Amino acid sequence: MTIKLIGYSFSGPVLRVILCLKELGLPYELEPPASYQSLKDEDYIANKHPFGKMPVLFDGDFRITESRPICRYLVSKYQGKHNDTILIPNDVHKAGLVDQFISYELSYYDPPISKLFYQEKVAKRFLNEEPDPEIIKQAREELAKVLDVYEKLLEGKEYLNGEYSLADLAPCPSTYYICGIVTTHSDLWDSRPNVKNWWNRLYNRDGIKKSLEEAKSFWESSENI
Amino acid sequence: MTIRLIGYSALYPTLRVIICLKELGLPYELEPPASYQSLKDEDYIANKHPFGKIPVLFDGDFRITESRAICRYLTSKYQGKHNDTILIPNDVHKAGLVDQFISYELSYYDPPLSKLVYQEKFAKKFFNKDPDPEVIKQAREELAKVLDVYEKLLEGKEYLNGEYSLADLVLCPGTNYVYGAGHSDLWDSRPNVKNWWNRLCNRDTNKKSFEEIKSFWENLGK
Repeated sequence: MTIKLIGYSFSGPVLRVILCLKELGLPYELEPPASYQSLKDEDYIANKHPFGKMPVLFDGDFRITESRPICRYLVSKYQGKHNDTILIPNDVHKAGLVDQFISYELSYYDPPISKLFYQEKVAKRFLNEEPDPEIIKQAREELAKVLDVYEKLLEGKEYLNGEYSLADLAPCPSTYYICGIVTTHSDLWDSRPNVKNWWNRLYNRDGIKKSLEEAKSFWESSENI
Repeated sequence: MTIRLIGYSALYPTLRVIICLKELGLPYELEPPASYQSLKDEDYIANKHPFGKIPVLFDGDFRITESRAICRYLTSKYQGKHNDTILIPNDVHKAGLVDQFISYELSYYDPPLSKLVYQEKFAKKFFNKDPDPEVIKQAREELAKVLDVYEKLLEGKEYLNGEYSLADLVLCPGTNYVYGAGHSDLWDSRPNVKNWWNRLCNRDTNKKSFEEIKSFWENLGK
């Protein structure tokens, strides 16, 4: 039975799961919701996501929500079944560090990026709000400090945990949002050699590049959902 | 070699790991940092936590940070070794759901909860700021909506994933603070949530850990 993924492919968390499915060689069907507002419908909340969010993944009758747990579940169940890609190493210490880096992404890396992307792309298009230059300035400063830490974390390494893992996949959507879509702030990555090379390596992975570019066309059109 | 935990037991991410260590029957040494300011020292950032946070756990030479990641690592390595407590089930689907509930805690439950912890517990004592009634009001409203969802999630269940798991453990420290700081009505007014919280409070590890924290706060005033 095919895996069913509910969500919009241009949404960062949904894209995270799409990248994971592709890396593991898993076929899936993407089912966009009826509309963005439908996520708050009683039916969606009862049968899909109790907090009215996406993505939601159905693997047969099994339903799971929240993008990073979905990825960890898919890896846990399917890693090595369709190809050799290792997203979470078997060694308990290495796996612990991958988990730690995913937590860094969630706690420190993603928040300022989300603020920047909201200001530069979402505010005007969906909410008719002007971008706030003060928030943009603060978010850039916050992100610069985070990327300084990543610059050190990547010293002498190609990927966060040495070899490519879920720790590197997880930040791909949000990084692409800035470096590939908004681009005004990609100097933050380009001015840091380790971070720059790391992102280039990630962006050039087969599964990743194609999926990210598919998301780009939504953000560049003026279509609303 | 004993596990070493760097942190303050009064700060609830550290307490989260302490409860996990206790649940797994693991001995450990708690090492408070020199001072809260020392978390920003070059040495701390280079050798303990690159973002200047606590807790940090050393298992021999192995260093790991971020409380929920630390808990998952400890469970992965030590579950079943010292006792029968299951924090993450072996079944891949059940484990996936435990992970999902931990994500709900992080994404939806903790944000309003941590605002209340700060306002009620830390603002005055550590930062000499009066609690802000507007922030408290908004955080209560947000938490009430989250607890409405938890009320449904717990329908017909004793714990979030049916049996006790890491999904329930992760929210114990923060909940204990807010429950005891004048906001118990949020839990007590919802029958499933109330019964679940009572069950959690009655676990030996929680009873012990909450008592230890109580004396920290009582001694602080002296």
